[in-house]
Amino acid sequence: MWVGFRLQLKMRSRSAFDGILGVIYPMFFATTIFLLYRQTASPAELVGVSVGSAAMGVWSATSTTAAGVLQHERRDGTLELLVAAPTFFPLVVVPITLSMATIGLYSLVVTLVWGRIAFGIPLDFADPLAFICAALATVVAIGLVGFLQSIVCVRLRHAWAVGSALELPVWLICGFLVPLSLLPHWVRPISWVLPPTWGVYALRAAALGHPAWLDIALCLALAAVYGLLATLGAGRIVDSARARATLALS
Amino acid sequence: MSIRTDLRIAFVGGLTSYRALFNWLTPWVLVPVFIVQPLFQVLFFAFVGRSAGLADSRFYLIGDAVQYASIPCVFAMSNTIADERNSATLPLILVSPARRLPLFLGRSLPVVLNGFVVSVVALVLGGLLLRVSVPVGSVLPLTLAVAVSAVSCTGLGLFVAAVALRVREAATLANIAFGLLLIFCGVNVPLTALPGWMAVIAHWLPLTHGIAAARTLAAGGSGLGAVGRGLWTELGVGAIYLAIGLALLNYFEREARRRATLDVA
Amino acid sequence: MSVIEVQGLTRRYASRRGIRRRTSFEVEAVRGIDFHVEAGELFGLLGPNGAGKTTTIKMLITLLLPSGGSARVLGHDVVADAREVRRRVGYVFGGDRGLYERLSGLDNLRYFSELYGVPPREQRIRIAELLEMVGLSGRERERVEGYSRGMRQRLHIARGLLHRPDVLFLDEPSIGIDPVGARELRTTVAGLSAAGTTVLLTTHYMFEADELCDRIAVIAGGRIVAQGTPAELKRAVVGGNVLEVEAYGVESATIDAIRMLPGVSSADVEVLGHAQLVVVRAAPGAEVTSAVLHEFGSVRVGRVSTREPSLEDAYVELVHRA
Repeated sequence: MWVGFRLQLKMRSRSAFDGILGVIYPMFFATTIFLLYRQTASPAELVGVSVGSAAMGVWSATSTTAAGVLQHERRDGTLELLVAAPTFFPLVVVPITLSMATIGLYSLVVTLVWGRIAFGIPLDFADPLAFICAALATVVAIGLVGFLQSIVCVRLRHAWAVGSALELPVWLICGFLVPLSLLPHWVRPISWVLPPTWGVYALRAAALGHPAWLDIALCLALAAVYGLLATLGAGRIVDSARARATLALS
Repeated sequence: MSIRTDLRIAFVGGLTSYRALFNWLTPWVLVPVFIVQPLFQVLFFAFVGRSAGLADSRFYLIGDAVQYASIPCVFAMSNTIADERNSATLPLILVSPARRLPLFLGRSLPVVLNGFVVSVVALVLGGLLLRVSVPVGSVLPLTLAVAVSAVSCTGLGLFVAAVALRVREAATLANIAFGLLLIFCGVNVPLTALPGWMAVIAHWLPLTHGIAAARTLAAGGSGLGAVGRGLWTELGVGAIYLAIGLALLNYFEREARRRATLDVA
Repeated sequence: MSVIEVQGLTRRYASRRGIRRRTSFEVEAVRGIDFHVEAGELFGLLGPNGAGKTTTIKMLITLLLPSGGSARVLGHDVVADAREVRRRVGYVFGGDRGLYERLSGLDNLRYFSELYGVPPREQRIRIAELLEMVGLSGRERERVEGYSRGMRQRLHIARGLLHRPDVLFLDEPSIGIDPVGARELRTTVAGLSAAGTTVLLTTHYMFEADELCDRIAVIAGGRIVAQGTPAELKRAVVGGNVLEVEAYGVESATIDAIRMLPGVSSADVEVLGHAQLVVVRAAPGAEVTSAVLHEFGSVRVGRVSTREPSLEDAYVELVHRA
């Protein structure tokens, strides 16, 4: 699995589109958000903004590509090979989505640094250890959500479109920047069942010196549920594909 | 060849190549990319604005809905031109006697319409959800401002398309164009709140003047007369990119014959 | 006046070598060729991959500028009068690309009719006529993505003929088509030529050129190495008969010895499964069979046959020489 992760990361960092754009694209949003908040926010508030928009990059790197990843394998004809391999199928897919979330981690760091250099937003977090743990937990959680997403989308021809359409709603609903209290009440349960909500909450808490460990644990627990669901889904897909021969196609 | 041939190349040919080369024309792409995404961009920034304690929803509704026209305008345009290379039809196009101006310009017409419709849909849906209303008298002028923005943005699209034909990174370039427009054009941050040099650049980008005009109109109380200058400027900026794009296409074609670039050989 | 006149036509490509120390150098793809094609003729440009066939065609249809020399098509210079040339020539290349996959066959044809300024009223009739001719009637409303290679190739031909070109350029049209499709294609091309269209065809299938072409130019290494009717080429180059010997376990020394025999102009070995096929080309009038068989000594020999030289023999000979 580690080998799978490394190779996928390598492949993805090599492609100019996913590698460079994966980092640059969220930066466009981050920059406009910094410019926007700069009009009113205090330095302390800006730290929260910086952390939130940095985390946005993790999600967009994952959501926009995770959906399409199995499609690629299918188009290249390698999905059949993966299914045929003796490895447990989810162990093949998880590294793929995790590698993308890792590119997201890269964009997280870049965004924080960009905020520091271009906008002077300080990087001295109150609880660095908790912050790093929260960041890793967020990356793992988002990777597993991406895993579920790629399993759900495996049969869609234009999965990339669904993936990019999920980018902004999750930014909004999981409170990457906007406090959940501003959203309509009925949205809240949706936010609560999405692991990024807790990851981002923990990141901000750690940065500002509030207790974060409970949120980290919640985030990881929820992520585990998503991973389990996706694993079950993956098993079903492999079975139905064997029965109906739908893996190769288009 | 007659003017009639040129017109047919522009209109009939333009529509055909849009259908042929723009591979988003399926509900599986149209709904998520042309409805869900622009709507959520409007909602996202409207809420971000609220959380920052800034301007009202109307500001973000207009800014983001109009700016999202750049997705179809830039992506569709670069697809319909740069993909000639991928489908190996470029040599066939270039050996045809068709005049290049109607050939390439014609491809922008369906794109303009596409961008316009996407913006209008985002405006209507976003307006309903955010409970932003526009005075009845402003609806038509506002529509015109949106249309003008889509036209000038397509000019930028043609420019990106020409570059993409050569460097083969159409999607990357289009995404970068989108991102720059998002930051610079006063979409979510008023030009007055941007650093001075950014505001200067903004004046030379499409959408900046169109969005400003649309905001003035949506606020009510002013007619087309008040924003006429802005809309003409918007068109002018678009025309500059269009002209550069066409000149580049012309140059690349001559280069291709001389140096066997563009996969013609 | 010839329909195609080519004089001293040359084309060089700039190319680069190495990553760290980049050195530019020039590749000469076409090195000063001369030929002409008369009205109604079916002219073949024959040569191995990389010989310069496609580059030559691309200069003639105005897609590439010549580096030197001149070419006129229907009296128009391919550089100065590019648009006039484009209007009157058709171009079809082999392989299954170059079509709009998401459009139907009909829409592909409609689009190119527009580009060539075929008047709308004429379009419908012309397209129907061409679909009938290439045998795609009834399938024209399906998207091209679902077409087979053969269908694509036929659609390509229809596309090339939309504007009733006076000259048709076919660049390796039969590449990747199955034998039945290739035969149909040859029938179509022969029919066009019979109807008066001048055709310039490139191919590396000898039998295709032999069957179709009125005249052939063999091109190798960017130069024309021979020109004439298929019969002339065969006579001029090979002349003598070809002896084929099936053998088991021939040593290369034996082949060398055969090559040295008087009256033998060349000898090659092809591997056929367990056996080898020794092909010996004799000089005109020479009788070499017994001398050649003597060289085999104790090597087991199977079928032995003698035949007239084919165009392929002539071609192999010419390319070897060049």
